[in-house]
Amino acid sequence: MHDAPPPERTPLSTLLLKSQRRTFLGVDKQKAIRSFFALNSSAAIIVLALIMIFLLREGVDFLPTYRRELTTYRKAGLEFCDLISRPLAKHQQLCSRLRRAMSASLNTITQPARLRRDAAYQQMREVEEQTRLQRAVLTNQLALIPAPTPEKLSAARLELREATRAAVNRLPATPFLTPAENKQLKRELSLLSPETAELPVVLSLLSSAYIRVDQEAHQSFKPIVEAVEMFETAPDSLHELLDGLKKQARATKELALAEYAAANHKPVDFSGRAAQMTSQIPEISARIAGYISLAEKASSALPDRAGTAEATELLQEVRELLPIHLGEMKSAAKLLPEWRHDKRVTYFQVVVAFFFGDAWITNSSWQDFFGFVPLLAGSVLIALIAVLIATPLSVLAAIYTNQFAGAREQDFIKPIIEFIQAIPSVVLGFIGISLLGDVIKDVSEWSWLQWVPGFPIQERLNMFNAACLLALMALPTMYSLTEDALNNVPRAYIDASDALGATKLQTVFRVVVPAARSGIAAAVLLGLGRVIGETMVVLLVAGNRIAIPDFSAGPGVIFQPAHTLTGIIAQELGEVSRGSSHWQALFMVGIVLFVISLLVNWCARAFVRRFELSKS
Amino acid sequence: MSLKPTAGSNPFLGAKSRIERRETMVRWLLRLCTFFIVAATLGILAHIFIKGAPVVFRSSWPFINTTFLTELPSTLHVIEDVKGHRQEVDVTHVDEVKAALGADFHADTTIAYSGGGILGPIVGTALLVFVSISVALFLGVSCAIYLSEYASKGKRVEMIRLAILNLAGVPSVVFGLFGLGAFVLTAPVLTDLPLERSLLKIPLGFSYLSFQGWDTCVLSGGFTLAFVILPVIITASEQCLQAVPQGFRETSMALGATRWQTIRYSVLPFAMPGILTSSILGIARAAGETAPIMFTAALAFKDKLPWQKDLPPLPADAGLFAQWEQSIGRFLGIFTESVQALPYHIYTIAAKIPQNEYSERAQYGSVFIFLVLVAALAAGSVLLRRHLRAKFRW
Repeated sequence: MHDAPPPERTPLSTLLLKSQRRTFLGVDKQKAIRSFFALNSSAAIIVLALIMIFLLREGVDFLPTYRRELTTYRKAGLEFCDLISRPLAKHQQLCSRLRRAMSASLNTITQPARLRRDAAYQQMREVEEQTRLQRAVLTNQLALIPAPTPEKLSAARLELREATRAAVNRLPATPFLTPAENKQLKRELSLLSPETAELPVVLSLLSSAYIRVDQEAHQSFKPIVEAVEMFETAPDSLHELLDGLKKQARATKELALAEYAAANHKPVDFSGRAAQMTSQIPEISARIAGYISLAEKASSALPDRAGTAEATELLQEVRELLPIHLGEMKSAAKLLPEWRHDKRVTYFQVVVAFFFGDAWITNSSWQDFFGFVPLLAGSVLIALIAVLIATPLSVLAAIYTNQFAGAREQDFIKPIIEFIQAIPSVVLGFIGISLLGDVIKDVSEWSWLQWVPGFPIQERLNMFNAACLLALMALPTMYSLTEDALNNVPRAYIDASDALGATKLQTVFRVVVPAARSGIAAAVLLGLGRVIGETMVVLLVAGNRIAIPDFSAGPGVIFQPAHTLTGIIAQELGEVSRGSSHWQALFMVGIVLFVISLLVNWCARAFVRRFELSKS
Repeated sequence: MSLKPTAGSNPFLGAKSRIERRETMVRWLLRLCTFFIVAATLGILAHIFIKGAPVVFRSSWPFINTTFLTELPSTLHVIEDVKGHRQEVDVTHVDEVKAALGADFHADTTIAYSGGGILGPIVGTALLVFVSISVALFLGVSCAIYLSEYASKGKRVEMIRLAILNLAGVPSVVFGLFGLGAFVLTAPVLTDLPLERSLLKIPLGFSYLSFQGWDTCVLSGGFTLAFVILPVIITASEQCLQAVPQGFRETSMALGATRWQTIRYSVLPFAMPGILTSSILGIARAAGETAPIMFTAALAFKDKLPWQKDLPPLPADAGLFAQWEQSIGRFLGIFTESVQALPYHIYTIAAKIPQNEYSERAQYGSVFIFLVLVAALAAGSVLLRRHLRAKFRW
């Protein structure tokens, strides 16, 4: 008898820990579920990456495209023309100053006569406006073919006459005319009818009186009028030459574009065409010299004094600015021989032209420029004003609700401030158009507020208006983050301060607020991020003028309209075709915005981290 | 001798000291700041209410301007006769009224988008919100479950949280650009005829999977909006999950339930009401955003509702399958149409048409309705949350 082998037995460990799980490729159900959730949780990371990828995909071609455009700009000689026409553009500004000075001077003599004439015309227009319907009826009847019956016509005439008389009777007498003249004017106006073409006698008398006075005024301010005329016509010969050159350059550009569009087109002879242009350099220089001497002559012919103090000041300004302008013209003339049509446009230059270019010009028949500075200036200025308004308000409000307000007051204030978050931005933008713009404009016209720089304001829609609304939008974010920061201050700090006998105010401003400093800074930064990225309010309210704000206006600059990074995308992207340089430029702006938002977030986090460290 | 302090005898009850006076002053200054904000907010709301309510409400039965709520936007014609009477007419009746007036007709002014009602924009916004909230809830709740139930502290979680924070800070117009690049121009579709510009064409035998984009439609706009509100949803959902007591999970695990069973039966049922109410806030946000849908979904003007699409009539002997196919196509077609949306409609009538009394009426009416909808959602969310907090007290 031999020992039977022990019966086959599964090991105890497998019995106890027997896996009931079915696996597929080594993954059981629990693991699958877990990795499903893990995958979903990466959604945020994936989306961030996708945003970057798609922005780059559409925008990264901008640099080569823009480089090609700038190369064409140079090759075709457009740059050559701009060398002169850029500085020459200043001539217009100087002209407008001189013209303003001239008209102010003339005005001192012509004003009474002009006011009398305008008042009379105004009355006539008023009557015509009030009898608009009756006049239309009569005109229609007269134009009818076959002509209506005489009874109908005379009825229409009668109606018109009565309406006219009623309107004339309603007219107030103008203070600019004598009572006798007023009476005569009324008599003549009541005979007004579309059938007679000639003006009432009083009106023609007043007009001719004005023309006579105007001539007199020109006579008495002869030196200034002549000098202004001379200055205005000074660059005419230069303009004429330049226009010819520009025409040629544009023709070359069109050829170049056609060549690019059709690959097998015969190549454009750029160097021959450029040589044609550069051969005119002596002529251009001569004309520039002619312009300079004429302008100098005109400026020396300007009298010392004009009709009013303001006009004299304008003349003085022109006298100061003119040498600078002429100096620029001289250096432009010197630059001409150095210009080469075949100089390479480097990528560095393209990047500089985008990030530091001071003009954003699109759909231009001459040349499109994508300069970033005007948009950035608008965005940054608006954001700064908004943060300057919102920071004190939100921080003080948070301090008040957190430290001073009673429970019932808190229950009232907090939901309202949090509700601001729920107001859609387009609604706030609409408020800026329909309400705030008018309010700000009206306030700026109050006489006792005229000391404020920039008042009275010109534009209803401006940076300040947009900034007020953006401040309101940023308020809830900044308010609740500041409140969190205040809440996070350890209780012991406050108790210690109280124990030392500090008053409530001392505790709040010397202990609690300093302890929450970095949290408050983070709140302000996040508010800034929100403000820079906001689109609809600035698109609707900021005025959308693409120009670098004129900082020479001092603090009043905030009442100028501007355009922004976000606004330009929203406004222009719908109208450009995919793949054009304009389209790519807008995506570049989007990339910059994305990077700015990441930077702001990163800074805010850095502040918060410091804050957390200081607490421990 | 009485111990009761009286004014004058008590040296500690003197006139208010300098410090006390300053204290009161500063306190009032702070109060002023706070109530300035409150007053500005209430002022804006009151302005919209005063100007908008007369457009929406009527003084007689049914007390609500039904045309404004049930008609599509259209061009408004204001016809003036020679007597100076004006009457507002919609496009279909212009010729009729002109003929009736005959020689008395004087002028016809047209004001774009200001006639009719705002049903189109309301429907469009509802569709966009539906798509976006479905996508965002799915992704957001899954992400929150992972963060709160599965993940342990580590680099990966750190990165996810950082990404969520950064996503919340991305400007809405950048989301618009992203939606345009990703969904409108690149997203994959099943089609028999792939476009030239398609990024990638994968032949499937019966048709192609072509990465050519969905075009501007509800789906593109909804997905874009979904990513705008994703951070809000994730944060809110995670808070709700964290609020479920740890004991619930431990009890369930102690009974031998797996991790998924624990989540499914012991955590989610208690967190779900909170998640849903918090997501209402996401709905309000999605409904209010304009920039993301500008290039992805919204149209300035459309004279049809999304489901009123002209499909070729079926042959008379069409089988059940063909009819079924067409009705499915009609339903899916809703999501592949571009729509009007309330915020974009407000932008259009505020910025693109000249201001006068007629356009002003349309503007304030739309803004009022929009604000009431959004405010109702926000307030509803807050109230429900308060209610839930009282109900689930552990």
